[in-house]
Amino acid sequence: MSSNRNYDFLIKLLLIGDSGVGKSCCLLRFSEDSFTPSFITTIGIDFKIRTIELDGKRVKLQIWDTAGQERFRTITTAYYRGAMGILLVYDVTDERSFNNIRTWFANVEQHATEGVNKILIGNKCDWEEKRAVSKEQGQALADELGIPFLEVSAKANINIEEAFFSLANDIKKRIIDTSSKEASGGSSGVNVSDNSGSGSGGKCC
Amino acid sequence: MTRIKMTSGTTPPVTDSSTSTTSTSAGTTTTTGSTSTATPATVPLTHPTPVPTSRPQPSSPAGSYYAMSDDEEGDYNTITHTSTGRGVYIHPTPSAKDNIPGYIALLQQRNQHRDDREDSSNTPASSDLLLAWVPESQLGEAANLYVKVDLCDGDSPPKQSYLVPPPPTVTTHRGSVGPYAFAIPVSAIYSLLIRPPSVGWWWGSIIINSRAGDSFPALFFHDSECQSTILQKKKRTADTFDPFGEAGQMFWGGDEVLRWLRRYVQIERSGAEPNIYLVEPSREDSVAFGGKPTTNTAAQAGSSRGDPGAKDKDAGMDPFVKLIKEAGWNLMEKFSKVTTFTRQAANDVLDNPRVPPQMRRLLRNPEVQTLQDEFDSARIYLARWAMGIAEQSDRDRSRRTWTARDVMELEDTDVGEFELVDGANSLSLEERRRVLTLKEWKGFFDERTGRLSVTVDEVKERIFHGGLDPEDGVRKEAWLFLLGVYDWYSTADERKAQAASLRDAYIKLKGAWWERQVDLGGEGEEEKDVHRTDRNVPIFAGEDIPHPDPDSPFASTGTNVHMEQLKDMLLTYNEYNKGLGYVQGMSDLLAPIYAVLQDDALAFWAFQHFMDRMERNFLRDQSGMRAQLLALDNLVRFMDPKLYAHLESADSTNFFFFFRMLLVWYKREFEWADVLRLWEALWTDYLSSGFHLFIALAILERHRDVIMTHLKHFDEVLKYVNELSTTIDLESTLIRAEALFQRFRRLVEAIDRKEHFPGPRRTLSTASSSSASAALANAEGSKSPSPPLPPRPQSGPRAASSPAAAAATTKDNKGKTTATTMAEDDKEKVEKIVTPALRKLLSREVEIIRAPVKEGAGYPTRERA
Repeated sequence: MSSNRNYDFLIKLLLIGDSGVGKSCCLLRFSEDSFTPSFITTIGIDFKIRTIELDGKRVKLQIWDTAGQERFRTITTAYYRGAMGILLVYDVTDERSFNNIRTWFANVEQHATEGVNKILIGNKCDWEEKRAVSKEQGQALADELGIPFLEVSAKANINIEEAFFSLANDIKKRIIDTSSKEASGGSSGVNVSDNSGSGSGGKCC
Repeated sequence: MTRIKMTSGTTPPVTDSSTSTTSTSAGTTTTTGSTSTATPATVPLTHPTPVPTSRPQPSSPAGSYYAMSDDEEGDYNTITHTSTGRGVYIHPTPSAKDNIPGYIALLQQRNQHRDDREDSSNTPASSDLLLAWVPESQLGEAANLYVKVDLCDGDSPPKQSYLVPPPPTVTTHRGSVGPYAFAIPVSAIYSLLIRPPSVGWWWGSIIINSRAGDSFPALFFHDSECQSTILQKKKRTADTFDPFGEAGQMFWGGDEVLRWLRRYVQIERSGAEPNIYLVEPSREDSVAFGGKPTTNTAAQAGSSRGDPGAKDKDAGMDPFVKLIKEAGWNLMEKFSKVTTFTRQAANDVLDNPRVPPQMRRLLRNPEVQTLQDEFDSARIYLARWAMGIAEQSDRDRSRRTWTARDVMELEDTDVGEFELVDGANSLSLEERRRVLTLKEWKGFFDERTGRLSVTVDEVKERIFHGGLDPEDGVRKEAWLFLLGVYDWYSTADERKAQAASLRDAYIKLKGAWWERQVDLGGEGEEEKDVHRTDRNVPIFAGEDIPHPDPDSPFASTGTNVHMEQLKDMLLTYNEYNKGLGYVQGMSDLLAPIYAVLQDDALAFWAFQHFMDRMERNFLRDQSGMRAQLLALDNLVRFMDPKLYAHLESADSTNFFFFFRMLLVWYKREFEWADVLRLWEALWTDYLSSGFHLFIALAILERHRDVIMTHLKHFDEVLKYVNELSTTIDLESTLIRAEALFQRFRRLVEAIDRKEHFPGPRRTLSTASSSSASAALANAEGSKSPSPPLPPRPQSGPRAASSPAAAAATTKDNKGKTTATTMAEDDKEKVEKIVTPALRKLLSREVEIIRAPVKEGAGYPTRERA
């Protein structure tokens, strides 16, 4: 079965952030290159797939999208564990969503796998007249948390690709490249050769 | 003696060309180039026979015709080519074991007087073409050739020719030699009676009527055994996504034969009798039959379609269903292996105007398109695609005309036989599922007092089975009863008073937050969500009024009065039930109520009642959701242990993939109109207050085969189930859910009898449900972030406020395992456990987790931590 596989690595990512910051829109833009302004709210959890190429390898990204509302956190944190990379998303026009990033970050620290890669994403950067959080503030927070930062716009298709690629690249460096150096040392959850394994990277559809 | 040469094309599917003594000459033909080989030849259907796996697959599926070339060496004074198809049977007796397998072939025979022209683009005369059927047993060595031809890829220019001994040529059936084998010159064929596969005739058939006036035995096309037809179908599906034949039915072997013939001769479909195809009809015949010529020449054969209006009467079986049934999952799986399902293929399909709208819709789903990029997802994609089609065909059956038989036919689960109608009720399914109109509704009430004059159960039964008329406004009235805004036995005057006081109360409640909001500012999440709730429903679609607050994020887009009303109601509910607050999903629950009632105050209170039962879904600790997922877990394990075992192996018994469905009662899974119908059925609590879990079970059972065959991991299951959204047929789901419920009840009763307990039946009181659910929630444990584990026996106390409940309590205390073997008639000794969560499903009592309290009171839910 694994001979049928058309990717070399499977990487699981997770989008988190306040309700309405545009997590699903970012994902839709990245996975299908489309944008819907009047989106529906996300209930429960879902994921989308996109396969990209990194250094000549086919990397299949399985990106999980969660309900943002705080109320569902007990459910969504269950999905932190399998993630190899997490995108913390806020809305540059919504200061509260920015302030809540610290809480989200703490959540990640608490529930996610240690050493999971993260990136801070400020969405809706095309909406200058409504901007409430400056780019500098975003960068400052990212520096403080010690993670990369990008301002993006799902609507205007700014930096979306870069955000996902950069995160995927970091993960590949961290897990895959190092594990291959260690000569097949236990790579934490990346299905390099066996996609029937359960583990954190179950084969997806 | 005549010999026949079959030309076949291609990338030779068989490398060993020496099987035929004539292959050398064939090889010559090949190298000479294909330009001289324009005469079309034949095609084969194949033969699945015993060794399909060892056979090299053609590089591209299908094909069927190649041009055939004349024999350039001229050593054989005839022939040309043809096509064969295996899996074409004669059924000499009604017994299947007497069926004679064979090949149908179109053979070209060279004229006796040798024609020097090698220009093979010249269409052979119909007298030189033989339509032949040869039993496999008589082919001898030539059988290999037939198989080869059958397997050739018809898209490539012919590279090989095959010569075969011709079957005896005859012009009438009586003259045929040997048992059944025959070859008739096409010119001697008067007409073909072609019966496509249909409900009554599983196999399509062709009967050849000769000009001499007799008929040959019917040739039955066992297409599932015929490789070339399968390939052809596959090709059609892959290239154009049009698996259908000329008249829009499923492509089958008979179409293939027509296609061969049309390359050489004129075939005219009879207008008078659409199953009759006239071969080179005379002018008189054409006039007499009044048929419009469908195709005249070979060149048109591929491009022109039969009169779309002439949909064959025989094609009674829905072509979609036909596709599924005939192709089977095997084929589906093969599809995915060929990887022909690319995004490009899907795009091509979308551009094809002939694609049925339902398929177009499916394919336009961007997620489906993405999935197609993933090779190993193709199988799941296809499985989903096929299920979508089957579901659509359910939907296409005229609504509310379900018969018990229809449903039985739908069922292929292990859950067991279904008894759809209670013994007591002799009404037919159709009668019971007749829609309840405003007129009938009014008839339930006393004319003078406006008081209900029938029993509540009678009304509920009608709504549960028939639903309320979506057009005549009966919902506006009836929903208020269903949701508890009006008392069922109130008089018209009482209701009037009730409505008036509710309006006052709403205004007062609304005023409370309104003042405060001015100070706090911001309407936050409610507003955000209102702007993304059911915006495709007309009343919520517009953005025709400017937003009152210029600082609002929606100031630039505008809003509309109904969205504003929704927002106000949600904020008011927040005021009413401060302990809960606004939670995502509530707007989904409110919007249909408001849209139907079109009165904000009444809608608010109806929503408030709805929330009484739904509140448990929105608790911070998710205990209510967990309890329901646990109950679903128990239910699936109880009803379908095999499926349960599979889900267990796929790490999916948390049933989290039903989270969304249970949270907002399938709001995202069904179209708007269906949601209204489903909810009113659920509100009746006619069979069980937990009937929504039987809906879940019904959906699972419907997709059982796909799940068990294709879905091996949690993420696959989740994705598959998430994407069922808007593909599920409601009416059949309701029927299935009811049948499952009846079966569930019988099983529980059988177990209870076995244990000498009086069956609690549906009278089991849950007056104490509040504490029971608290116990359940506690037992389940609310700290663990992980979804519920498989059920564990409950030992929590159950209040015994009725004898039935007392019995249940005894049982619970007595021990965890109320395991028992099933009733005697159940051969298989299955251990079934009636857990408390399951027993609760027999109750019609709605579980409300908090006492209905007014503003700002504390809620028991908060005390659990």
